[in-house]
Amino acid sequence: MRGPAVVWRYGTVTALIDESPHAKTIELHVPEWPGHAAGQHVDVRLTAEDGYQAQRSYSVASAPEDPRLALTVERIDDGEVSPYLTGELRIGDELELRGPIGGHFTWRAGDDGPLLLVGGGSGLVPLMAMLRHRAARSSQVDARLLVSARSLGDALYSDELETLAAADDGVVLHRTFTREQPAGWTGFTGRIDAQMLSSVGPAPAARPRIFVCGPTAFVERADDLLVELGHDPTTIRSERFGPTGG
Amino acid sequence: MNEQATWLDGNALAGLLEELFATELTDTPHGCGSCGAVRAIGAHRLYRGAGLVLRCPVCSDIALVVATTPTSRVVHLAGNWRMEMSRAG
Repeated sequence: MRGPAVVWRYGTVTALIDESPHAKTIELHVPEWPGHAAGQHVDVRLTAEDGYQAQRSYSVASAPEDPRLALTVERIDDGEVSPYLTGELRIGDELELRGPIGGHFTWRAGDDGPLLLVGGGSGLVPLMAMLRHRAARSSQVDARLLVSARSLGDALYSDELETLAAADDGVVLHRTFTREQPAGWTGFTGRIDAQMLSSVGPAPAARPRIFVCGPTAFVERADDLLVELGHDPTTIRSERFGPTGG
Repeated sequence: MNEQATWLDGNALAGLLEELFATELTDTPHGCGSCGAVRAIGAHRLYRGAGLVLRCPVCSDIALVVATTPTSRVVHLAGNWRMEMSRAG
């Protein structure tokens, strides 16, 4: 429970980082930011000169421990908001936002594991906040991550994920590439399926906390497969982007 | 996989719910008035059309409808809701 309703406030852009040809991370300094939990999102509002407003939700990518608030935004070419955020926004600009928002799709280091994180495309963003939070707290919770991306070039945070997995403190990284595989790739290929999810684990008997995020169709498929594998539906928390939005 | 899937989940309504009720509601259980299933608001299905419609993920019965007019928001609640708001402020 929180007190007053979320308020609109302005953040100042402090850095812009290209994550892929279609996605950019926006780092913000937000005065009096109340702090967030990994998995929460913010609402971003753009206002045109004539007063027209467009609003979208974006997951927070940064750990709660990070003083910078980072959003990773995927460009939707015919979108109203993401082309501006990924193409026009400059360092020093102000961005209107409210948050942090949401309490269902969140994980705190004090929560039990094991964790099973399943992300499609930019659905990786809130899961990354969880893994960054886990690392910042030196958590040893067993964390399995399955990421689906079209190609290595489209995949977000690849170097950082490999570093997290190489720390050998409980993070296991699995990726599947649906359209184009890197040369010599021996990992998963194609859309997620039951065998993939089963081999990533943990088994349903371990009652993992499961977080699934991605486009609606991806999440529907993953949720159905997880239930078929025997996972209790109430252990699965999902966040859908929808087919459009941008 | 349904390529035409157009719904989101209740998590997408978190900001509006907090604006309306001044509290975080997506992790709050809601009891369906039709099938009785108890699920977190964030796990419900959200359909966006002329208004916003939140449906039970088990039987699809309506849990919430929000219509926005130029001057107001009209909210219809169904089933069993429980809200806890801070008294401060």
